[in-house]
Amino acid sequence: MSQRPGDFDQYWQDTLDALAGYPACPEIDAIPLRTTDFATLYGVRLTSLGPYRVFGYLSIPAGRGPFPAIYYAPKYQSVLEIIPQGTANLQRSRYITFALAARGQRNADTPYAAMFPGLLTDGIDRATSYIFRGIVADGVRGLQFLLTRRELDPARVVVVGNDMSLITAALQPGATHVVTAPQLFHDTAELAPRTRAYPLEEINDYLRAFPSRAESVRQTLAYYDLEAFAPRSSATTLVMAGAPGAVPDATSLGRVVAALRGQVTVHASEQSSYKDGLYAERWMAEQVDIMDLPGILPEHWR
Amino acid sequence: MPNPVLADYRSKVRKPDDFDVFWEGVLQQAAAVPLAPEMVLDPLRTSDDVEVFQVFYSSLDHLRIAAWYCRPAGLTARTPAVLFLPGYQMDPPIPKEWARKGYAALSVAPRGKLRSLGQFNPGYPNLLTYNIVDRHTYAYRGFYVDAWRGVDFLLSRPEVDPARLGVTGSSQGGGLAITTAAMRQEIRAAAAGAPYLCGYMDAIELTHTYPYEEINDFLRIHPDSRRAVEETVAYFDGINFADKITCPVIVNIGLQDNVCPPETGYALFSRIRAADKRLYPYDGHGHDAGRYTQQSIIDQFFAQHLRSER
Repeated sequence: MSQRPGDFDQYWQDTLDALAGYPACPEIDAIPLRTTDFATLYGVRLTSLGPYRVFGYLSIPAGRGPFPAIYYAPKYQSVLEIIPQGTANLQRSRYITFALAARGQRNADTPYAAMFPGLLTDGIDRATSYIFRGIVADGVRGLQFLLTRRELDPARVVVVGNDMSLITAALQPGATHVVTAPQLFHDTAELAPRTRAYPLEEINDYLRAFPSRAESVRQTLAYYDLEAFAPRSSATTLVMAGAPGAVPDATSLGRVVAALRGQVTVHASEQSSYKDGLYAERWMAEQVDIMDLPGILPEHWR
Repeated sequence: MPNPVLADYRSKVRKPDDFDVFWEGVLQQAAAVPLAPEMVLDPLRTSDDVEVFQVFYSSLDHLRIAAWYCRPAGLTARTPAVLFLPGYQMDPPIPKEWARKGYAALSVAPRGKLRSLGQFNPGYPNLLTYNIVDRHTYAYRGFYVDAWRGVDFLLSRPEVDPARLGVTGSSQGGGLAITTAAMRQEIRAAAAGAPYLCGYMDAIELTHTYPYEEINDFLRIHPDSRRAVEETVAYFDGINFADKITCPVIVNIGLQDNVCPPETGYALFSRIRAADKRLYPYDGHGHDAGRYTQQSIIDQFFAQHLRSER
């Protein structure tokens, strides 16, 4: 079990203060190739901590808002998707969507190009210089930008992702709902040795190469543990847990779930991207009062 | 149970008359480029049971292609090998698990993928439609060859038994497994999951999700290019490669696949020439195509066809 650092709140307040020192300076360009009669797509560049310029895809539905919004927080992969692979493009007709590439991902990989695997342990032996401090700041900056959009209904803002969705909602007010599928930062130091699968295997690789850094790695990871962030989030939350026995499953996520302040639903994976995906789509639609869900589902899910 | 409507689906794709001539020409160009393989031990990723190497080799247009190569530590005899091919958006993984099962394993990053993007980087989205109006410069022309050349790398390794090569992958990796098995007769067994790049023009009508939606985006902007697009992708459609596959092959599909429509999986399977072929359709599954169940079937399949020496 990860120990919450005594200066956890100060560490993140310092990060947010540093981020606040850099205006976002948004640069927004329409992308006609990905624009349809039901939604306009924009490329957005924003300044984040560093300073570092990050990139996102913003889609605005046609018609009069306000619209509910989905913020796709940065994923752990090099590719930035407009909307997640397999999502019906028509999702963009009902929701504002904003997907952000954090530093290191494609479209935000200059000057820093992340490696996968590799990103998870970049600078992990020092909390102050760990790459994810900047990535978390990028995630926060993305939500801050989305909340400035006049088309957005501030009562219906869903943040979707892996760990970064919950962390972002915990650090930046404005998320009304969260869908989180923890992957990286739940009890990482304890759970990593129980798996040989990447990305957690990156931790095992690192500690095998640098065993003397185990304690400093543990200390850094403690600043990123979802259990420590959970009490700061009051959003209504859907936790997408692994199937029983997976890392992490609903059982191992119990303390995170218990620490969340908002209403929480836990869905244990049915090991079907169809069943799990449909569950999450239905949950979001119910939460934001979208009544015609079948019309914005992939054809083979209707 | 599989929906009979899906199972009877007929693809619109037609094989161009000069399909074989086109690919013979591409392979001739590729053959003029020496493989020039490099293999560098990666101490950070190497463990007691698996040696991990960063691999680089040359491919069509003289691009350097990266890959991960894993082999069981302490190999004393020639070993079977598996070529792993990546999904469209996937960062090519380090195939340690295959090495732990006793195989040498190569995970290729075809051009444009992370670690292989210094000379060619159309990006995502974009790869699917990059030069899609010209088969001679279409992105997948080189991309396919990069995958196929993974076989040459494996054949260059003295620890690999050249008579025991398998290929696998899912989604784009499934489509590439199909084309690789078709074009490289050294492949003795192929396992393809949720095959992408099969039935391109069918898929863009059957589903409206990315990545196939990239083609609909392109055609919305360039409606006059539809015929050129159809002509190009016919040369790259896995369904048109299927009649070249003679090795044992298994294919798994999800009947609620929201990325690669199951109809195209059926259409592909019906065109595979191999006598030893089996389709695993998973009802209640999407683009995962039942992988949680299928992985043990793939393990058994490769064990049957690759583990025993010939």
